Amino acid sequence: MAKLLKDYSGEFDPGFSYKKLKRETLLELLRGYADYVRKIDGHWYLEVMRRCGNEAAFECDAAVWVRMDPFEMEMTKRILGTGGDTPLAMAKTLQASPWAASYNCEVEVINENHVILSYLTCPTIVSLEKEGMGREKLICHDLEVKLMREKAQCFNPAIKITPLKLPPRSGPDDVCCQWELRLDRPK
Amino acid sequence: MIKPLYDYSGDFDPSFDYGKLSKEGLVGLLAAYSNYIRKLDGHWYLSVMEKCGKDVAYDRDIDVWNKLMKFEFKIASEVMNIRGNGVDSVAKYFQVSPWFWTFKPRLELKKDRLEVTFEKCPTLLALEKEGNGREAQICGEMEPELFESIAHHFNTKIKVIALKLPPRKSADDVCCKWEFRAGVNK
Repeated sequence: MAKLLKDYSGEFDPGFSYKKLKRETLLELLRGYADYVRKIDGHWYLEVMRRCGNEAAFECDAAVWVRMDPFEMEMTKRILGTGGDTPLAMAKTLQASPWAASYNCEVEVINENHVILSYLTCPTIVSLEKEGMGREKLICHDLEVKLMREKAQCFNPAIKITPLKLPPRSGPDDVCCQWELRLDRPK
Repeated sequence: MIKPLYDYSGDFDPSFDYGKLSKEGLVGLLAAYSNYIRKLDGHWYLSVMEKCGKDVAYDRDIDVWNKLMKFEFKIASEVMNIRGNGVDSVAKYFQVSPWFWTFKPRLELKKDRLEVTFEKCPTLLALEKEGNGREAQICGEMEPELFESIAHHFNTKIKVIALKLPPRKSADDVCCKWEFRAGVNK
């Protein structure tokens, strides 16, 4: 059996594939890819904002994510088998999404139909706070609430999403945002 | 030792992270991320085109990619340790890039020359379907600059020659073909 590679510093291999890499390297690459996703989105937003203003950038962002979020949920469910019709299935899918590595999210499971998500860190809110233009109102309140509800649709249209806490934060130790995912099953 | 997971279909794990996945699970996820990255960029381009016009979308795309390429090179050099100044390094870059993984280009390395053939390209398929002729700008103007920046990251003396560019004669035709020619190490 061929020895697994730590990196690709050796000679060109016409049959190279990621399968030839060590698990630790794949993990590092995956973290890099997750960062890449955040950078693509962030650079596009900022470049459009610079040229056309925040209103146009925000509208483009909303249009992009209304399309991307369902794709992301379905992709994660398919690859990692996190499907189901409960808030818990949605929480598992969010734990394993390409964005998960960018946040520290605490999941409190009351039962499979009632889950609380607390985002303890968020690079976006840190950037928005640093920028100081108050864009978090638009992004965290208007857009994120809509998108979280769109995501829930991919699991069960009856899942209710309630934002329990949204920016502005009282300080850097405060949670970034907190959400209740709840499904009331008919008895 | 805990057995790595192929997927996350089992019970909820409050401390789940990718480190718990098996090697096969990680490779599957990387392939999916590669496709995700391409889709995300495509949706941004189309949204900006719709809202602000095609010139703004094209212009912003160039600025975005000038920044993102630096990040791609960082992954290639720091995680994959691809260094060196020959065309073989360019070939290795194409094999590991999250962006080009979806395209699966055919790479032919011949001493100091590298031929890269794109037989499949979802971007070109979408452009052909759209029918507005945008491939002339994207494939004919933006891509040569992008490939030059890849080549020059490794060696500013590497020359990039477009051997074949869209429009294609038919769906069986290759999408595009490039040559990277070393200017040093002869």
